Amino acid sequence: MTLALLQTGAMPKLAQPAIVAVAVVYFVIVAAIGAWATRRTRTASDFFVAGEGIGLIALTLAAMSATLSGFAFIGGPGLVYRGGLGAMYLVLPAAVTASMTSWVLAKRMRLLGEVRGLITVPDAIGARYRSPLAQGLSGVAILIAVIGYMATNLLALGLVIDSIFGTGLRTGVWIGMAVVLGYSVAGGILAGVYTDVFQGTLMAVASVLVFLFTLKVGGGMGGISRTLMAADPAFLGPFGTMGPGAALSLFFVFGVGSMGQPHVIHKFYMLRDPRRLKWYPLLVTCALLLTMLLYFGVGVAVKALVVKGQLPALANPDDATPIFLLRFTPVLLAALVFSGVAAAIMSTVNSFMSIGAAAVTHDIPVALGMRTKNELRWGRIATVAISVAAAALAMLPGALVAFLGIFGWGLFASTIVPALGFGLNWEGATRQGAIASISVGMAVTLAFETMAYFNVYSFPTGVTVSGLSLVLSILVFFAVSWATRARAAEQIDPDVRLVMSV
Amino acid sequence: MTRRTALAGLLAGTLAIAAAYGSAFLPGPPPGWAAWALGIGSATVMVASMALGAVREGKGVGRLKWSFAFVFVVLAGGFCAVMALPAETAASPLFLGLPLRAAIVLIGIGLLPLLVLPVAYALTFDDMTLSEDDLERVRAAAKALRAGAGTPPHADANAAPPVPAEAR
Repeated sequence: MTLALLQTGAMPKLAQPAIVAVAVVYFVIVAAIGAWATRRTRTASDFFVAGEGIGLIALTLAAMSATLSGFAFIGGPGLVYRGGLGAMYLVLPAAVTASMTSWVLAKRMRLLGEVRGLITVPDAIGARYRSPLAQGLSGVAILIAVIGYMATNLLALGLVIDSIFGTGLRTGVWIGMAVVLGYSVAGGILAGVYTDVFQGTLMAVASVLVFLFTLKVGGGMGGISRTLMAADPAFLGPFGTMGPGAALSLFFVFGVGSMGQPHVIHKFYMLRDPRRLKWYPLLVTCALLLTMLLYFGVGVAVKALVVKGQLPALANPDDATPIFLLRFTPVLLAALVFSGVAAAIMSTVNSFMSIGAAAVTHDIPVALGMRTKNELRWGRIATVAISVAAAALAMLPGALVAFLGIFGWGLFASTIVPALGFGLNWEGATRQGAIASISVGMAVTLAFETMAYFNVYSFPTGVTVSGLSLVLSILVFFAVSWATRARAAEQIDPDVRLVMSV
Repeated sequence: MTRRTALAGLLAGTLAIAAAYGSAFLPGPPPGWAAWALGIGSATVMVASMALGAVREGKGVGRLKWSFAFVFVVLAGGFCAVMALPAETAASPLFLGLPLRAAIVLIGIGLLPLLVLPVAYALTFDDMTLSEDDLERVRAAAKALRAGAGTPPHADANAAPPVPAEAR
């Protein structure tokens, strides 16, 4: 899922004429979509929620593109190559997550957006509990996570651009940032959504084609399995080389945590007709699973090819996709996938830019009792500021950038899932419970990730910071809400109650 | 299934995961039950979350209970099965090109819910998720809010808006 953070090592050089040509065409198409969207972006609502005017297919592809970053194409297959089936537990919940998020959040967020004209995820938290503090805390958590995530994604984008065009890493980061910034500042989320439609289609098509090649090269799924079972029985064991605790922890964090990813759930506000949500889970789940085929196929096929001696053992597991593409697929398909990697990263970065800018210009000022005049203009300025800050962070040493990215998923999950996901479905939830839950999620994630980075303290095997912070934030949410339950009813406005009851 | 049952499932699943994590801090290797608690707890939290979102006042989850029960069995049963089944050998039979336990993980846990949940969501959408009547009621409330407050959308998302009686 959104884990470009693992892609911090250099990729093989890809500067072949066909690959460069396809990449250039790709960037031209993205620029053209950005220019088109710019003409349609006139208000803050257009900028942050596409004027509540997108259709179901656009929502599906935009949500899918925002969910997947370059990790699905590069880091993920590398993780499968290294960890076997255990690495699949990151993406295994995908068959459930879209339906779960739809039942828990999609309808209520879309309706709340209509009733209140909401434009951000923290807006919904603020409206649910009538609490600017809860909204502001959520905005701060999102801002911290967004900048870290963007830094890792921009670094990954810089690596891809450097590999294709030979620009050098630093220049690649700034070029990548400038391209995404160009269409995001001008066209806002509208440009993001429609480039996502193009990018998502590209990602899905490329993934399916590459998967077919992995089967052909590896001798079918049965051939790959036989090769791997003979050489390394644990590789295709139910948890790969990870062990059950670590693998199942991934399933929990990436399953339940998916309901708290603001760059995805924020898109529910944008759907023109809420009744079109009917087909959203089916479409987005199919799109996600198709796009995940490459993740699994390349990981196991490259491992089998190495076992059979058709490829040398990889020094860097993240080279699995580039090496497979360059050795075993037509150059045009390889070019398409490399553009797909850039597409995946750029669509994720664009979504982060939008929600980060909204946190700065909207959510945090609300918590401080301030009101931003001309949110469109300040939204654009904030987008530039956040992007420059993230690109500057991407210049830091790779391990530090990866560390910043690690915050993201857990911070989003622990601060949003209980307060918003469960809070919008349970009238017994209280403002105090939400604030305590968000605070605990933020404190546990930041404190323990920092301690782990500086080798002060690390959790035992099988326990992840993101998993523990999510569990603690849920338990605190229930405990504090129960303790303050006498105030629950008075904290819900009638229109919010109406939306919750529908 | 009622909202209370869904909340109880959510809490129970979370406590099971917390216990599994907690056991990892004890001296020695993790106890054998921890992985079972993590697998069953995760399945419980996910299914309980769906039920919590789907439950309607006075109606429960209706016929969705079969879909949720099926997915719980697939997820929790799948995790338990792969932990209980013996390891395959190089000569073990393959299922759709995969060793049995890998097939349970990838095709059972990773694919089967796709055939049930999104379809159940779509088939029950009109009567259990969002009907035209529901939408009209909410839109009437939104219209009244904008007319009554005299402010543009997202001018003050935290403010308590007036809601007409007919929209309640």
